[in-house]
Amino acid sequence: MRVQKSLFTFAMALSVFALVAPSANAQNLKEFEKKVTEFTLDNGLHFIIIERREAPVASFYTHVDVGGVDEPVGNTGIAHIFEHMAFKGTKYIGTTNWEEEKKVIDQMDSAYKDWLYESYKSNVDSTELAKKRAKFEELQEKAKTYVVNNEFSQIIQNNGGTGLNASTAADLTNYFYSLPSNRAELWFNLEADRFKNPTYREFYVEKEVVREERRMRTDSNPIGRLVEEFLAVAYTAHPYGRPVVGWNSDITATTIEDARKFYETFYVPSNITIAISGDVDPKRMKTFAEQYFGDLPGKGKVAPPVTTIEPEQRGERRFVIEGSSQPIMLIGYHGVSDTHPDFEALGLLGTIISSGRTSVLYKKLVEEEQLALQVGAFNGFPGTKYQSMFLNLAVPNSGVSLDTLEQRIYDEIEIVKGGSITQEELDRARTNLRAGIIRGLANNTGLALNFASTHATKGNWRDVFLQLERYEAVTLDDLQRVANQYLIKQKRTVGSVINAGS
Amino acid sequence: MKKTFLFLMILLFATSAYAQKRYDEIKYPPLGNFEKANVEEFKLDNGITFYLLEDKELPLISVSATVRTGSILIPNSKAGLAGMVGSVMREGGSVNYPADELNLLLEDNAASMGTFIGFSSGGASMNILKEDFDELLPVFVDLIQNPLFPQDKINLTKTQLKSSISRRNDDQASIASREFGKLMYGKDSPYTAQTEYATIDNITREDLVAFHKEAFVGNNMTFGVIGDFDTREMKRKLQQAFGSLPAGNETNIIFPEVNYDFQPGINFINKSDVNQSYVLMGHIGGLRENPDYAALQVMNQVLSGGFSGRLFQSVRTDLGLAYSVGGSYGSNINYPGTFSLTTMTQSATTSQAIDAIIAEVKKLQNAPVSAKELTDTKDRFLNSLIFRYDTKGKILNERISNEYNGLSEDAFDEYVEELKKVTIADIQRVAKEYLQPENMQILVVGNANELGNQLEKYGEINEIDITIPTPQVDEEKEIEGDPVKGEEVFSNMAAAIVSNPSEVSGVFLDATTVLGGQNVPMKATYNFRTMSINTEMTTPGGTINLAVENGQGTMNMAGQSQPLPPQMVQPLTQQLKRDLVNIALKSDEFTSIFTGTEEVDGVEYNVINVSGEINQTFLVDPETGLPGFVRYSEFNPQMGAQVNIEQKFSEWTTADGITYPYLMEVFMNGQKAQEQTVKEHKSSE
Repeated sequence: MRVQKSLFTFAMALSVFALVAPSANAQNLKEFEKKVTEFTLDNGLHFIIIERREAPVASFYTHVDVGGVDEPVGNTGIAHIFEHMAFKGTKYIGTTNWEEEKKVIDQMDSAYKDWLYESYKSNVDSTELAKKRAKFEELQEKAKTYVVNNEFSQIIQNNGGTGLNASTAADLTNYFYSLPSNRAELWFNLEADRFKNPTYREFYVEKEVVREERRMRTDSNPIGRLVEEFLAVAYTAHPYGRPVVGWNSDITATTIEDARKFYETFYVPSNITIAISGDVDPKRMKTFAEQYFGDLPGKGKVAPPVTTIEPEQRGERRFVIEGSSQPIMLIGYHGVSDTHPDFEALGLLGTIISSGRTSVLYKKLVEEEQLALQVGAFNGFPGTKYQSMFLNLAVPNSGVSLDTLEQRIYDEIEIVKGGSITQEELDRARTNLRAGIIRGLANNTGLALNFASTHATKGNWRDVFLQLERYEAVTLDDLQRVANQYLIKQKRTVGSVINAGS
Repeated sequence: MKKTFLFLMILLFATSAYAQKRYDEIKYPPLGNFEKANVEEFKLDNGITFYLLEDKELPLISVSATVRTGSILIPNSKAGLAGMVGSVMREGGSVNYPADELNLLLEDNAASMGTFIGFSSGGASMNILKEDFDELLPVFVDLIQNPLFPQDKINLTKTQLKSSISRRNDDQASIASREFGKLMYGKDSPYTAQTEYATIDNITREDLVAFHKEAFVGNNMTFGVIGDFDTREMKRKLQQAFGSLPAGNETNIIFPEVNYDFQPGINFINKSDVNQSYVLMGHIGGLRENPDYAALQVMNQVLSGGFSGRLFQSVRTDLGLAYSVGGSYGSNINYPGTFSLTTMTQSATTSQAIDAIIAEVKKLQNAPVSAKELTDTKDRFLNSLIFRYDTKGKILNERISNEYNGLSEDAFDEYVEELKKVTIADIQRVAKEYLQPENMQILVVGNANELGNQLEKYGEINEIDITIPTPQVDEEKEIEGDPVKGEEVFSNMAAAIVSNPSEVSGVFLDATTVLGGQNVPMKATYNFRTMSINTEMTTPGGTINLAVENGQGTMNMAGQSQPLPPQMVQPLTQQLKRDLVNIALKSDEFTSIFTGTEEVDGVEYNVINVSGEINQTFLVDPETGLPGFVRYSEFNPQMGAQVNIEQKFSEWTTADGITYPYLMEVFMNGQKAQEQTVKEHKSSE
């Protein structure tokens, strides 16, 4: 039920991804070949079952290949709003009478549209507007009378479900929780039901909840504000420039009809990957999968791709938010998507220059010169599916100006461009990458997430391991080349928050 | 016939798949057998206790120590010390593995080590690939036993802590939880000790060394070891590696009583850059040993157990007032927890959300929970119990935590049994007995302009000042130099600036200040007898008038007058004090010491250190007697740090007996920050 937006969450998630993604070694892959069963239903829905018999529990993970980038203009935030709606129940869960409720919901949606369109008129008639609003609110109250509050989530929790949540990012939406493994069928039953029978119950109240989420993560948070502004400046055309949580006015403008269209377009079987990890029998899982998901509609449908390509940037972009919080700076360079041959080299470059106490940015700027409280560099922001950014985060110590810190980061990048990275540094980064994979293999949720998302993005869960070969192929020359090719002024966006009082 | 049968089969299959069965028709197989892994325990002569658990799933080993210590042992005047010990232990490395060497060794092996000290416990941990165990265990022991605490890493940590202090009012949530803690436990309580610039300055290397020496001894340490190893062999290795650590004395942590006075209160902190109020409210809570603990936990679940809790249902789902809402009656092991309720809601609905939350608390007291709620709550808990032990790590951690907190090995199982017995009447009884919704402290961190008068109905609003206390300026060092020549240079300088002091009481300036690339024309009148200022600035947004008199300031903008907050009056007054004319007029109130000469741009200046109400160093041109530069250091509240200021004066012009620099450039930490050019000046009334 959250938007993956916080920069720090992002940095953490990224480091996990970066570490877990590529292969440890062939042996690990062999081990997993024995534990993994995968199958695709007739309608195109793909399942990955990972047997892990440590304890009688299992984690269930649904990865939908849809995110903020796929939203129509005027409906930013709709992927996330739909994600919230997936917790509202089905035709018999969460309602006292679906037939009646459905009628009221449809009426409510038309009433909302009436009010909405009225509100955009150039010469709004305020009496008319108030009347239409009242009509909508009356129907909303009526719809509420059928609602059994949060019944869907409660069934899961009453059955021992833990870690119940979902998230929406620029590239993806996911839904997940864990259950005692003997109750696996409950997950099949509920998950299939919610995606076969979305009800859009309490849609307009939930939009207010989403708006509060926006206020919390973006409007009232200095980093949230900076990140939103940064992406809007860095991207001119590609939807990576839009906030996943949605612009406030788009949240207002989005209706149930919009959400339904969005669902019908993107929640099709070929666009969904499910992974289950834990103490489960793959044969039984397959039987359940066919029984419950076999009739998920949309066989043969393909979700439309994003067709806009970010045009070449014509010059450096800069902005400053004059706020009342302490300074923070983001420096981003337009880079590549994760299918581009330079993706791994840029990823390693970010790790080598900023991750760990031996990295050059930490050692010089944090430790020796004490200019920064924190510096970071990571590749793949705000997503990885499309051409994305190599991002630097700079948090200065008190008394240090952003200009000074910014210049020192450029100085160090120039040194890297000259070929300063050593083989030892490259090897160290890869060693940590390998170990990171091993460490990520010991929990059900992580396994399910990693295997499903890798299948969704790379077409094969084995790429979790095979990817390391691409990292192994990166040379010092590659690092120098990508630094010179991508980390240039013309590809740069620099955004900062400063304390206007200072 | 055969065809019909097939058709029927297809039809049947299709129908059954279409009309999916209801979730409550599912028959679950029994949960698979699960044996809780056995933890092996052994103790060394020096008091160290080890708990071992083999876990062969992955080729990893993790060793972590729980240490009986904590920041609670530190006086508030040195707040930050304990955390610094935890941080510098790791950052500074050990005698045999200094920082740089240690960092390389660990990162080359994809290993991690960490040390930390929290409020009432500390720890050290190592997570490595099993093949590196023999190489890295001695490193870990050295880090625990012989940390270096090098001065440079202490300084680094201090710098970083100070930077963090300067940032602590940026985030609404952290302001709220910090200030709510003070409302619950008292401002100077050890439970709310706050690290300040001054407390960091009070910490010395000796303090760190002494704290470590007391804390990291055998009798204070318990280790958990988990991973891919053989227990017998592991015991031998641990015995060998840790056997030589000193036994020391077990630390006795005393948790002081909390004297809490139940009374209602409304508290407010203004944050102008938010559009959502962060609300925290409640009162003091209780202890884990309370026989009603289980009933209170069930009550907490009814009130706020995830998606099923009443607060979530009401405030979020029904009313759409918040994304985040929750609350619980907290029961700590060693000292009282807090009963706290929290939400974040848009400014306009702040009181509506507060009232909705309070209503839910009262409902718990006034009406029994339904039988279904009780069953659901217990089901939720009992059905998810398996997740308590779904990893071996959790089993080990629970064992160590019980041991550390003096709870029995099966404290949790006892709790489960008690929880099963909780009744509907119990929940209502504890809600009545322990919750006082009429007597809560309400804290709102929000935007005053957007809030309006919503909070007034809760009583007289106590506005909490969260201004970060500026560090005390270091004691003035004894300046060595020539006081006689100092007085001579200084009095000459004063006379060069104001030739007729008895006739001058102030100065009028028609000037332009360049701030951040923008020209701001201003007309200012300074009176140095009454220490008052009157400034009129012309900005793109209109004319702004600032006035300070008798320590009070007002700002006039677009016909609207409003008082200036103290944090704006203070720098204006300071500016007045530092004005050259003021210093010249009051030269006999200062003492001056000549400390030598300094050449800048070909001029050999006399350097004098002038001290009195303010302290500055002047570089005086021996030919004109006028200062070319003045230097001082002051605390910059925006940057949260002491900064070095240098002002460069030039283009001196005389009028009405006052010689004033028509160009003044200000450098902050060596970087140009401001420039003032003067068009005209005269003596003012």
